[in-house]
Amino acid sequence: MARNRTSLKDAHASVKELIAEKVQYLVPMTIIFIVCYIGLTVFAGFAKDLMGMRIVGSVNLGFALIALNYLLSWVLAIVYGRIAAGKFDPLAARAAMEISGRGILR
Amino acid sequence: MNLTLGIFVIILLITLGITYWAARRTRTTSDFYAADSQLTAAQNGFALAGDWCSAAAFLGFTGLTALYGMDGALYALGPLVAFCTVLFMIAEPMRNTGKYTLGDVIRGRMQTRTSLLAAIVGTVVVNFAYLMPQMAGAGVLVRLLTGISYDWAVILVGVSMIVYVAFGGMLATTWVQIVKAALMLTAGAIILMMILSLVHFNPLTLFADAEQKYTAKYLLPGNYLKNPFDQISLGLGYTLGLAGLPHVMTRFYTVPDAKTARRSVVWVMFLAGAFFAGTTAFGLAAANYVGQDVIRAADQGGNLTLPLLAQYLGGGKDSLGGNLMLGFVAAVAVATILAVVSALTLSTSGAIAHDFYVNWVKRGHVDGKHEVWIARIAAVVIGVLAIALGILAQGVNVAVLVILAICIAASANFPVLILSLFWRRFNTGGVVGGMTVGLISSVVLAMIGPAMRGADALWPLVNPTVVSLPLGFLGAVLGTLISRRDADNEKRFDEFLLQVHTGVAPG
Repeated sequence: MARNRTSLKDAHASVKELIAEKVQYLVPMTIIFIVCYIGLTVFAGFAKDLMGMRIVGSVNLGFALIALNYLLSWVLAIVYGRIAAGKFDPLAARAAMEISGRGILR
Repeated sequence: MNLTLGIFVIILLITLGITYWAARRTRTTSDFYAADSQLTAAQNGFALAGDWCSAAAFLGFTGLTALYGMDGALYALGPLVAFCTVLFMIAEPMRNTGKYTLGDVIRGRMQTRTSLLAAIVGTVVVNFAYLMPQMAGAGVLVRLLTGISYDWAVILVGVSMIVYVAFGGMLATTWVQIVKAALMLTAGAIILMMILSLVHFNPLTLFADAEQKYTAKYLLPGNYLKNPFDQISLGLGYTLGLAGLPHVMTRFYTVPDAKTARRSVVWVMFLAGAFFAGTTAFGLAAANYVGQDVIRAADQGGNLTLPLLAQYLGGGKDSLGGNLMLGFVAAVAVATILAVVSALTLSTSGAIAHDFYVNWVKRGHVDGKHEVWIARIAAVVIGVLAIALGILAQGVNVAVLVILAICIAASANFPVLILSLFWRRFNTGGVVGGMTVGLISSVVLAMIGPAMRGADALWPLVNPTVVSLPLGFLGAVLGTLISRRDADNEKRFDEFLLQVHTGVAPG
């Protein structure tokens, strides 16, 4: 029983570490997509002339920013997948083992 | 138009075949609500794409872009960005903490009956607000496309959805969504290739032609959403509302673990995102080649833009190719509605049978076999109710309900869900406060706005999310602070966190 309690303590520590990792990556990533997307809608609402500035041919800044937002979402999705698999999953797996009380090989 | 009916009947037969196959594999509660959590990431990704692209997305975005230019493209981008929120904050915790419903997550965190009841209300209200316009839309669309009457169209769609859900549960619903997503993406790819060959693979031509035909104003924002705050409301509603839509979120229970849930979101972001981006090209092409006058003549709201464009690309009005393309796109549009209403019915039956009857009324004391039957009966009752509401809604302005559904999801369900997952102090008072304030402010503001009252609107925004979402959060925070601190709940939060991040509950 004592061992179980220790490993649960370890699990809490691991999850704390995991949360810190997640905060470190997810907070900036969330800020990036919210600022880019809500910023776009603010521009669309209040800066119509700026959005009409020509970029390539008849394509204006607004459409260019929309295209960039598509790209950004896809890039963020891939980056998140990579970070989660590389950094979050091992920590989560360790914590899961500690919770089930099997401990980890030291 | 009979060609459409023919293609639609073929799709219907395929989906009924799937349902027969799925019904034989649906025995336990876990089968019924979550397809036994055995789907792969790709399967769930396709199903999510089928689930999330309603007729409003399939037909509406193209129409909006064709008639109003950039606002349509902004509309189409939102639902992709929305998945960033879901990917970063919601998908994995949902998979890790819940079993079949949104109510499971809230109940798991709070362990109180009141909070479960609040979650049930949030689910049922959002689902019905979403379901009713879908049924009404189905009626209009099927009538326009096949020529059968509105009432019979609603009944046909409603009965099909009841059959899928009541017999085949999540497995049938999932495969209906996968088939629909595959058809939708195929149609999109064919149309895109045809457009590209028409402009000699130079997409810039689409913009140049549109500018020449409709002046540069057409390519500016604000042609559809006149009030700047409506643009922002739209953005907020999408980014945070998706994460509060129970029928989409329950899809994460169909995969075995958080990793698969995550990968399925990446799948849907590429599948649905590519389609959304495509609608902008479709809309511009339709404005250029079909023409806004023809589009408006067919349907004021532009909902027939995509079928008309397909007909044009296939060879025009009286050609076999044109009618085949029209029939195909129209049939996919109906399949789209079927996939979405099935998911809504299934998710509502989860809230009624699993959350309300089993966990609230019976306090969990119901055996699995019994629960499956309750869920099936609930699905039939909800389906019949949806048919009745759909028929009653004929001629009523249901557009406000679509906005309302997403707005409530963002303003009531989202704050409660996100605070449940991440705020230690958050308690039952907060759940009730957030749900009540989010719900009431959304409904009241939508009702006194221009969507409902037209020129007599008491307040200017069609979509109130920009105000109701902060109010929902405020309600949740105030509710938490006003009610007494719940020491047990706060202590339990550490263990809940273990489950949120690992999927294993400390036993």
